[in-house]
Amino acid sequence: MAVSTVCTTQSLNSTCSISTPEKTHLGFHQNQVVFYRRTSKRGGGSCVITCSVGDSQTVVIGLAADSGCGKSTFMRRLTSVFGGAAEPPKGGNPDSNTLISDMTTVICLDDYHSLDRTGRKEKGVTALDPRANDFDLMYEQVKALKSGIAVDKPIYNHVTGLLDPPELIKPPKILVIEGLHPMFDERVRDLLDFSIYLDISNEVKFAWKIQRDMAERGHSLESIKASIESRKPDFDAYIDPQKQYADAVIEVLPTELIPDDNEGKVLRVRLIMKEGVRHFSPVYLFDEGSTISWIPCGRKLTCSYPGIKFHYGPDTYFGKEVSILEMDGQFDRLDELIYVESHLSKLSTKFYGEVTQQMLKHADFPGSNNGTGLFQTIVGLKIRDLYEQITSSKTAAPLEATKA
Amino acid sequence: MAALRFNSLPGILEMNLTSSFSPNPKLSFASFHCDNKKRVSRMVVKAAKYKGTQMREKKLTELIEEKVLEAKQVCEGDETSDECKVAWDEVEEVSQAKADLRRRLQIEKKDPLESFCQENPDTEECRIYED
Repeated sequence: MAVSTVCTTQSLNSTCSISTPEKTHLGFHQNQVVFYRRTSKRGGGSCVITCSVGDSQTVVIGLAADSGCGKSTFMRRLTSVFGGAAEPPKGGNPDSNTLISDMTTVICLDDYHSLDRTGRKEKGVTALDPRANDFDLMYEQVKALKSGIAVDKPIYNHVTGLLDPPELIKPPKILVIEGLHPMFDERVRDLLDFSIYLDISNEVKFAWKIQRDMAERGHSLESIKASIESRKPDFDAYIDPQKQYADAVIEVLPTELIPDDNEGKVLRVRLIMKEGVRHFSPVYLFDEGSTISWIPCGRKLTCSYPGIKFHYGPDTYFGKEVSILEMDGQFDRLDELIYVESHLSKLSTKFYGEVTQQMLKHADFPGSNNGTGLFQTIVGLKIRDLYEQITSSKTAAPLEATKA
Repeated sequence: MAALRFNSLPGILEMNLTSSFSPNPKLSFASFHCDNKKRVSRMVVKAAKYKGTQMREKKLTELIEEKVLEAKQVCEGDETSDECKVAWDEVEEVSQAKADLRRRLQIEKKDPLESFCQENPDTEECRIYED
């Protein structure tokens, strides 16, 4: 985001005053101030001095989901697309929720809890409730990072349930804010260059939480069920409505290929992509804008039970035009994945087979054999594409400003 | 003709793709998931390396048990009360925290205290935990 103050001078020796349009936040300015000077052709003595804050090109991505719904897996796939592994900040608070890689920094929005565990108990609010979160601080800090200013961000410690002393976050090339409320506050929403919502159906959520918790002492089917149901009213009131604002929604549902399947192992996943989003072109199957049902298994490709089924087509979602790509079933072999990839278009890959390669790189991650892994990987590539488009258009802008 | 190289168990596989799809690639996997149990890794990595991590694991396990009991008690009166919702939300919070820790140890095979302990090897938390 380049900002400029234009000063006109009468003589070559005058000074130009520089002011940044917003108050700088806690932390320090990392940007250099660059001067461009151009004298007029016929020695008239007036010159234009343009001052601009350089290199503040942080792209901000928002990712919303309930806890335990695969966000961390998503983060690892995403950071992997850009290369390098995301690690917690070195040498800092070991209970930090932040992840940092070369290109990306992932911030967990739980860090903006205004009430710690005790505070929430006293007030009778869950973490899902907006009253437990400081949206003013969230907005200020995301805005600062987006403008290239480092911030001292609080840390919410999930082990102790307390708010720990802040950690310094430097503006990265790509900032990902993940949590329960990335799209809740309108001001924060407006800062996002792209937003994703992970929408897990109740049956799948139940199956996943059983897998997660059954081995724990203290938990039983009843306690897992009770926890989900008790949180549902707040979830439906505060978290779920955010999906209407998302540029992409990954919806995870039980499979339709196996009657009465309740294990949640085979999944039907829908990638709902908003049309008309800047720098984002939806993936499509065969013929953009048409409606397709496709079963790749047949003469050229043999699949094991229950097979794979794709669907693609235009639709509306909360009143907006969308394209939906859907996969039901599981990949069992490498060649199934490549076959599918070779029939999808506008994947934003840099070479043939890149989706397959990314999936294989993380074959041990959950969802690697179904639509969750596939669509998370594709969204990761789309974000890379969006980032490259935004940064190349921003480097073009200052050149425009110095013309004529 | 594109060549793809994948790292996976067992070993590194190379596969040549032709632009016309061939349904039987030269090398194929029997199973898409890498089955870690088939091959013993050269380095045996202990689950929790540092005392601090072992303590956190223990703390979270105890918290889960405690919070579930608490939630059951609080909700006996009124399941729709604020107190009941908060109690189950706490259960969710600690369950997720435990799962995150487990994932880092088992799947990423890294002790979360690794970089902290490199800088602060003499703290109590960084004592090596012997099984």
